[in-house]
Amino acid sequence: MIDKSRPAPIGRVVATELKPATPHQFHFWTAVETSIGIGAIVKVEEGVGRVVYGVVTDGFAYSDLQTPLHDVVGAEGDPVRAAESPTVRQEIRLWTAAVLRQVPEEPLQPVPLARVFVATDADVAQALRMDTYLTGAQPTGIPVGLYTSGGLEAPVYLDADFLLGPEAAHLNLSGVSGLATKTSAVEFLLASIFEHFPKHKGRVAAVCFNVKGPDLCFLDQPGALTDEDLRRYERLGVAPRPFERVRYFAPYKGDGVNLNTLRTHPDLVSDVEPLVWGLAEVLDFAEVLLNRDDIDAKADAFIDFLADRVLNREFDDPLAGRHRVETFADLDRLFRSIFDALELSGRGDMWRTHHVATIRKVRNRLSNVSTRCKGLVTDDGPASDLPWGRFEDRAVYVVDIANVDPLGQDLVFARVVSRLREGLERRELGVDAVVVFVDELNKYAPADGPDTYVKKMLLDISERGRYLGLVLFGAEQFRSQVHRRVVGNAGSQIYGRMDMDELATPAYQVLSPATKIKLATLPVGELMVRHPHFTQPIFVRFPRPPVLRGRDGVERFAPAADLPFAEAVARQLWRLDRAVRPNTVRDLVDGRDEQDVRRALAETRRRRPDDVLAYFRKVLGSRVAPDAARERAAVPPLGAITDEPY
Amino acid sequence: MARAWIEALLAAGVTPATFVPDASQGRFDQEPVERAAADVLEDAELATHAVSGAAGPPPAAFLDGIQQWRVVGYDGVVPIVRAYVAAAVRRRGVDKRLRTALEAAREFAVAPLAALGGEQRAALEAHIDVVDLPDLAPSQPGPVLEAARRAVDGARQTLERALAERALRLLGEREWLIVDGLLSVSGKLAAHPRALGVIKSFGTQFFEGEALRRALTLAMGQRTSVFRARGGHARNDVYSWYLRLWPWEGNDLLYGLLRIEARAAEETIAAAGGVSSWLLGERAPVSTPDARWDRLLYPIHDVETYLRSRAPRDFLPASGSRLPRTGT
Repeated sequence: MIDKSRPAPIGRVVATELKPATPHQFHFWTAVETSIGIGAIVKVEEGVGRVVYGVVTDGFAYSDLQTPLHDVVGAEGDPVRAAESPTVRQEIRLWTAAVLRQVPEEPLQPVPLARVFVATDADVAQALRMDTYLTGAQPTGIPVGLYTSGGLEAPVYLDADFLLGPEAAHLNLSGVSGLATKTSAVEFLLASIFEHFPKHKGRVAAVCFNVKGPDLCFLDQPGALTDEDLRRYERLGVAPRPFERVRYFAPYKGDGVNLNTLRTHPDLVSDVEPLVWGLAEVLDFAEVLLNRDDIDAKADAFIDFLADRVLNREFDDPLAGRHRVETFADLDRLFRSIFDALELSGRGDMWRTHHVATIRKVRNRLSNVSTRCKGLVTDDGPASDLPWGRFEDRAVYVVDIANVDPLGQDLVFARVVSRLREGLERRELGVDAVVVFVDELNKYAPADGPDTYVKKMLLDISERGRYLGLVLFGAEQFRSQVHRRVVGNAGSQIYGRMDMDELATPAYQVLSPATKIKLATLPVGELMVRHPHFTQPIFVRFPRPPVLRGRDGVERFAPAADLPFAEAVARQLWRLDRAVRPNTVRDLVDGRDEQDVRRALAETRRRRPDDVLAYFRKVLGSRVAPDAARERAAVPPLGAITDEPY
Repeated sequence: MARAWIEALLAAGVTPATFVPDASQGRFDQEPVERAAADVLEDAELATHAVSGAAGPPPAAFLDGIQQWRVVGYDGVVPIVRAYVAAAVRRRGVDKRLRTALEAAREFAVAPLAALGGEQRAALEAHIDVVDLPDLAPSQPGPVLEAARRAVDGARQTLERALAERALRLLGEREWLIVDGLLSVSGKLAAHPRALGVIKSFGTQFFEGEALRRALTLAMGQRTSVFRARGGHARNDVYSWYLRLWPWEGNDLLYGLLRIEARAAEETIAAAGGVSSWLLGERAPVSTPDARWDRLLYPIHDVETYLRSRAPRDFLPASGSRLPRTGT
């Protein structure tokens, strides 16, 4: 009688001189009809004392046919007859497996030639060393997906200490575009992190840079989930619901009032906050905006001088006069004063040890910033920024820079990440850990090309962020095109379907040919995961993210057309105070200089007064009624020429 | 177990040996060379018949056996042989795969007990089943080894016969049993309506002259008339015919030639064409790399492979050289 309480073996380890079993690899055969495949986790058990866990990395099938010619001979060259053979040849399914774990771990010995079993839930936890962080007083498991093989299904967890620091940190995702794998995986993983981030590790938030299309624009909207998705959510212990706290930030378009995002549907646009920076926000990151050639020691020194001695303080100069520089406009006035004074005084080319050519260069570059990053950088007026110091627990901050000039994207990225780092260093951000999601990492941290400020910053996060709680989730299509120190410092890696050309690069040499083929044909929703606790890559399936996908979101919430200037201003004031009537705003701004209106709007938004309309009116200033055009007395026409002489 | 009785022998003073005779790796595949008579039953004289296109085979099981032996020691000049015989019946399923239905194996020692010393004989008999080689005059090892070979061969045949008779009881209603070798060695086998012997060695000559020429120069896909084999190696009455599986031209006269044995009954004559037809279909898959692939049906080859995979590994010749070791 078959004892059903004990699982039946599915194979047996074999070893030959040419294919021996080693401490790290073994081979086993199974029946021709078997449920296992590449990526399956198996258990080798010898008696009661020794267990070896392995993951299948390659498979072979062959028969006792010595040469294909013999098959042709047997069928007399007729493929139809080949199928009519009364007996099928003996054939084998031989599998190669890489050792995941040996119990006991010492002494490390070759894998015994013993029976092979399909791994159960408990075996998967043992094999992946998850038992070390799923149990105990303070478990740190973050569900990443379901390992499925042979009808068995087991949740796979990442260790929060190795995903979000401090032991290791960062996640890198690779995969071809268009299969909704990278973004979907991050969305699911963020949901999982928010639900399972250990309490003892404090508060966590995420900052996501939306760099293309509407990918991350609908994280607060529920997406369509199948019954299978819901079952997987339940199995993984993650609630299938969209993010509860999402804040969207987007710069303006060139008109300074319409937001530069695809989340402009009337039902949703009210959640989007403008991202506008002034001189103070930009000056520290001038290096991002200037060409590398521009940043010589002299220009750098002058920029430092401006930041330290001039910006946001009373500056009194015997030559240039008294100035208070808070905006780009103020700065330009200072520059003009300096040039005028130098020209008038005839005192040469130096001002406070800075050569006039250096000053002109810095002025040219900085004064163009508002043009080059129109909508993001304001030439005048107050800034609107992320809520530094008030980050909420389990909140997602989406910074939509999809339609921003690449230079502006660099500026946003550099500044936001720098502020995050500062906030975390000083423990005044409001949370203890921040996940920064950056797609198109090959663009920001390319393997080759110049050392840009952004690349240097990404390297810095990769190498030191884990101590601060600043965690980089980077995604790219081609991992080989990303700086090796950025991907190399990612403690965890996720691979979706990969391009074969990419798999042929040296970075993937550690993978078996079969694993590469599986990667190249991976279905949507299946991933290969590498994690410090896993000695081999593991394939997992994850449910669709609980949020509306970008493409679906754009269909359901079609972006609104740009509003006329006055309408856009009225819409923004209405967001601050639902009592504001559009007609009133239209009358107020009608005929006013748009720059003045933008400035007043920004100030109103910054102050958030109780009476929005009154404050806006006050900041905008009273309208000076233009002088009525004086009636001009018409000169009477000359009289008709007559023949009369007088 | 083998190690225990060999160690007991060595302890009793037997000189160790590791000699594996050439003939010990497989069956001794030669029928004894002898002449036999034959009565042609199907035609007036031995004729050739074209076999119609390969027919689908009926359900079938296949029986084969193996034998392995080696000299493990010498008591003086008397060799002591360790032998292993095994047989199996593998049944072909509807998925065309072969699965083992029956199997049996026996390991034993072969030696002329009377020629052994008392202590050595006691050690041998105490530990293992021994087949005695009586009535052998003291001689060099050659005659003893030939007698040992015959003893092992006989043990294998006995095992095969016993297994075949068990298999007959298990056969399905339409199922055939195909035996590698003579059917006539067993009365039960020879009498069964769905048992066939497939003989691929030709030590017994049944015909002479033109009939012999016709029998041995059959073209591919032809068979001879059915005849009754009389005398020779046959112990039970069977009908027989020759069948050519592969064209012999350009190869050897016996290339692809089989002799089939079946029950001695009128039905066999009527069925010879149909049976030949589906046996012709058994040419594929070919049983390479076996050197006898032109006559070895794949299912029989499969049974042999199965048995060899389960045989003790230490019967194989040592992979290294038999040159004396240099002492380093």
